[in-house]
Parts: sequence; C-alpha cells; structure tokens
Amino acid sequence: MSDETTTQTAGATAVATPPVGEIDAATRPDEGRQLNPLVWLADRGIFVFTTILILVAAVLVDGFWSVDNATDVFNRAAPIGIVAAAMTFVVISGNYLDLSVVAQVATAAVILIAISNDRSVLVAMLLASLVALIYGVVNGVAVGVFKANAVIVTLATTFIGLGILRWASGGSIYFSEVDAIRDFGTTELGSVPLSMLVFVAITLILAFVLDRTTFGFSVRAFGSNADATRLAGVGTAWIVIGAFVISALGAMIGGFVLAAFSQTAVSSMSDGFEFRALAAIIVGGTSVFGGKGSVLRTLLGVVFVSVLTNVMVLSGWGFGAQQMAIGALILLAVSVDALARRVTGR
Amino acid sequence: MTQTHDLTLGDQRQGFVDRIRTTLARRTEGRALALLLVVSLITWIQEPVAFTSWSVTLGRIALIGLVALGLTVVILMGELDLSVASTLAVCGVVMASIDNLALGIVAALAAGLLIGAINAFFVVVVGLNSFIATLGMLFFLRGLAFVISDEEPVRLANVDAGISFGKPLIGDFTPRILLFILVFIAIQVFVTRVRSGREMYAVGGNRQAARDAGIPVTRRIFTGFMISGFVAAGAGVINALERTAADPTAGSTVLLQSFAAAIIGGIALTGGRGSVLGTLLGAASLGILQVALTLSGVQVDVQNIIIGLVLLLAVITDPASLRAVMASTKSFFAARATPAQGG
Repeated sequence: MSDETTTQTAGATAVATPPVGEIDAATRPDEGRQLNPLVWLADRGIFVFTTILILVAAVLVDGFWSVDNATDVFNRAAPIGIVAAAMTFVVISGNYLDLSVVAQVATAAVILIAISNDRSVLVAMLLASLVALIYGVVNGVAVGVFKANAVIVTLATTFIGLGILRWASGGSIYFSEVDAIRDFGTTELGSVPLSMLVFVAITLILAFVLDRTTFGFSVRAFGSNADATRLAGVGTAWIVIGAFVISALGAMIGGFVLAAFSQTAVSSMSDGFEFRALAAIIVGGTSVFGGKGSVLRTLLGVVFVSVLTNVMVLSGWGFGAQQMAIGALILLAVSVDALARRVTGR
Repeated sequence: MTQTHDLTLGDQRQGFVDRIRTTLARRTEGRALALLLVVSLITWIQEPVAFTSWSVTLGRIALIGLVALGLTVVILMGELDLSVASTLAVCGVVMASIDNLALGIVAALAAGLLIGAINAFFVVVVGLNSFIATLGMLFFLRGLAFVISDEEPVRLANVDAGISFGKPLIGDFTPRILLFILVFIAIQVFVTRVRSGREMYAVGGNRQAARDAGIPVTRRIFTGFMISGFVAAGAGVINALERTAADPTAGSTVLLQSFAAAIIGGIALTGGRGSVLGTLLGAASLGILQVALTLSGVQVDVQNIIIGLVLLLAVITDPASLRAVMASTKSFFAARATPAQGG
C-alpha cells in the first residue's frame, strides 16, 4: 500500500496498481493489464485529465489563467477538499460514503459564527468538536455495530442534523463580527489563501494516518475484505467508528474554513457538498467498492472537480447544468472503476 | 417469505411470549404495525381530528406512500433507488413543460420508465453498486430538472385540470388517494400472485441461485427499476397537477419519507424479505404521525427530525442488525467470561 502512494507521487513508470490483497502482484507478469486501456484509465486517468482540463481551460476560457481566478479556485476548493480528504476514510473502509457531511459542514459553520459572536472562538470550536464527535459516533455505531446500510443511516442523520440546525437557527444567516475569523478567511500568502494551506496540511496528515499507521492499514484491510479482517481479530466496529469520526472532524474543519471564507453561515450553505466530495474522491481513483485508494488521490480529484466547476462558472453554466455535469462525472468515474475491476477479475 | 406459516406442534409447547416472538420473526410488518398502533393511539388521544378528517390523513399517506411502493419492489431485489425524489421532480417538470396535458402525462411517465431503465443499465450491465449508481443519477436528474425548468417552477398550461384533480372524486377520495390504492393493489398482486413478481424475491434472496434456477435476473432487475421510476414519475405528475405547477426542487423530503416508509415496513435492505403491505403500514404510520404533528403546530424542521429518527431506529432495529449486535455482545462477554471460569 505504501508503495502505491510512492508510485503515484513520483509518477513512476510502474504499471497498474495491483488490487489490494495481491501483495506480490508487482512480481507477476503484467502484460494482460498493461494493455487494457480501462485499467489504465481507472488508475492513471486522473493525472492526464487534470492536465488536459487545465491546459484546455487556460487556452479556451477567458479569465481562467489569472492570479485572481487561481485564488478563487483555491478558496472554493479548500473546504470541499478537507471534507473529501477525510471522507476518503469512509469510502476506503467500504462504507460507500457519508451523506451527512452536508449537515455537518453547515452545523460547524453556524456554530463557529454564532457562538464566536456571543462567546469566543475557542468555545465555538469546542462545541463544534463535540457535535462532530456525536455525528461520527452515531453514524459509526449504526454502521459498524448494528451493521446498518451506511447510505440509509447517513441519509437519516442528514435530515436529523439539518432539521436540528434549521430549528435551532430558524434558518437565519449569521454574520461574523470576530476579527480572528475574518483574518483567517482573508489572509493570503502570495495568491494562496491560508485555507488552502490548511487543506494541504490536513491531506498530508490524513495520508500519513492512512498509509503509515495500524489504524490506516485496518481501514484499508476492512474495505478490501471485511470478513477476513474480522477473523484476523481486528475490532471492526472501532474501524468503522474511527472512519466516521475522521470524516466528521474533516467536515467540521471544512465548515470552519467555509465560514471563515464567506464570513457568514446559514444552514443551506453546504448544499451539494456530499456529492462534490464524493465526485472528487471517486474521480481521484479511490474505489467505492472499498480497499483501494488514497488521500493523495483525493487531493488530485479535488483539483479536478474544483477546476471543472470553475470552468463551468466562467463559461456561464447554470446551477442545474453544473449539477448535471457533476452527477455525470460521478457515474462515469464509478463506471470506469467497475469495468476496470471486472477486467482485473476482482 | 410473506405467507403466514401455521404453527407446528413444536411451537405449541412454547410460551405465549415465544409464540409472539416467532410470529413477529416470520412476518416482516411487526415494527410497522407496532409503530402504527402507538402513533394511532397517541394521535387518537391528542389530536382526534386526524381521524375525523379522513381525506386529509389519507391524502398525506398517499403522498408519502406512493413513491415508497415503487421503491419496495427495488429493495425486494436487494437494490436501492436513491434517484426516486429527483425522478419525481424531473417528470413533474417534463409534464408541465408540455402544453398538451395528456401528451405531457405520457411523456412524464415515459421519462420515468427511461430513468428506471438507465438505473438498471448501470446496475446490471456496468455492474455498479445500485447505491452509487442511483446517487449519481439523483444529482444528475436534479440538475436536469433545473435545466429543463430554467430554475423556477413551471406553471401548468391547463390549470383547470389541475384544480379539478385536487377535488374529491368518489366520496372523500381525491384522485391521488384512489391512484395510491390502485398502485398498492397492482404491486401487491404483482409481487404475491404474478410469477415474475414472485421472482423478485428470489433475485433479492440469492441472486446466483435465482440465475441457476433459470430466472432471467437481468430482465427482472430492469423491470424492478422501471416500476420504481414509473411510480415516481406518476407521483411527480400527481404533485404537479395538484399544485398546478411543477417545482424543480420538489421532493427533497420525498427521499427521506419514502425510504422511511419502506424500511419501517420491514423490508430487508439485503433483499428477499419484506412485503408491500408493510410499506403501506409504514406509510400509514408516518402519514398519521405527520398530520398529528402538523395539527399540534410542530414545525416542518422538527417533523423531519422525528422522521429521521424513526428511519434511523428502523434501520438499526432490522432483525439482521439486532442479530449482529447480539452476536457481538455475546462474543464480547464470552471472551471475558472464559478466563474467569478457568480460574
């Protein structure tokens, strides 16, 4: 698993990443796979597509190739990226996705702005952390201990969470009056906003956790073969709870960053986050079937989805057309993954 | 699977509680029935109006239940259709965008069938997990509804037809309630009496065994998703007619409500177990609950919280889930009890 990341980052010439579980795949003859374009696409396609997208956008789209636009892309990519990087754990653990991030992001944002206005940023962050823990544990226990379907569980917690948020906030918009939050949201190093650095730092930490710690190995093992992991004596419930808690903490930080960027918070501010995050994860090459993928791949996926969204906005696409494109992108990426999986026979 | 089994001699020796437990384990509607009784009892005491104004309560049940009925067929096969709410929105907009009413309805229903076929294509031919495939479709179709409608509600050309559609047709029954009953009977007959409908249970119970037994699994899955798409489209048409306009954002809570109704109704998400009757009971309990909450002046947000909680409870009190918890609890205590006995 660790060599998978090194080959990606180094862009080495190694052929298709072997499915997890075939540890000695590198020593096997790879001719069959090398020739299959689908497998190559599922594995390496994101590098090519991101490059092509950026090049085409730079040439054809007015206003794309500018410092201001780059800053804008970064600002919008950071919150979704943090959510996606953390949600990668849930996807790799084979639990499809955490739909409730949409409620979690908005809740964290509203708590940060509303509470920091009345009390202090620290109190707001502590409260938001508590809420994030509750989300993670409730989702994780329902999925990990009760073995309930992750999509349905997180659908239910989405409505519970959004309902509570709207009920408590009355659907009103909160404006930040705290300097620290405004400073964080507006600070830029060169043309790179601070939020982007937070995103990159979190990605690196999460990549380390996934690829270098026992917990990370367990998550991946559970995603490739849940029964085998359980029989190996690993506490599978803890893996699932851990993955959902990480996803919840990521969603919380994503909410903080989003709130700091927009200086406001409202319960509907994170609409569509769950889909954009999922699109970024899947486009990056992490498999929805679990086991295969990495946080660094999600980083690439986030770049792709963010640039694509930016290009669509610059080209004057409406909200609906953008949603259609993201939906089609999810369908296309998972289809390529599923077909490639069939070719490799797993 | 859904038939009641006669108690055998062995069962008669069990106690009363055991027999109830056996029956509850065999029928899948237990939780829905329990919820319905509790909700009805509390409503009867607190808000008896909900039972005297039958047309309102029935209308609410039909609103929640219609999409859930189509969904039931898909879940019976062990698949999910998360795109139902967006299908409802798209088909409503399609109908409203066509000036001729009859042509619009036909086009909307055809669109529903097409969406179902596309879902089935991704599941069967591409080999995607149905959660992910229909999730992608959910987003795609929601976008499509916005694109077709230009991001604002589309008014019906024939408003009179819409207004007359909302009026009671026979007694207190509006066309919506009558159509709901009709769809219920059709799907109930289909999955319990028709051979291809019965085969849905086999496809959900053990797909490989179903294939080996000569059941055309691919065709059945197409049928299931197309039924779900068709029923969701019908619900979209009914909604648009009653409101005399099609809202592209329609159905955001439809997803929650229809899944809640079906899952409370006792359908196993792994497929092969469950009944349409259970979905009806689930929809009935949710409908009565909603009417009672509305009458008591509870906000929609709080209603969503309560329905979300009910769904969460329903999905974790699934018999399979409870068995998983019992097993892990037992092994947890067994692991700690063994050394104590040894020492």
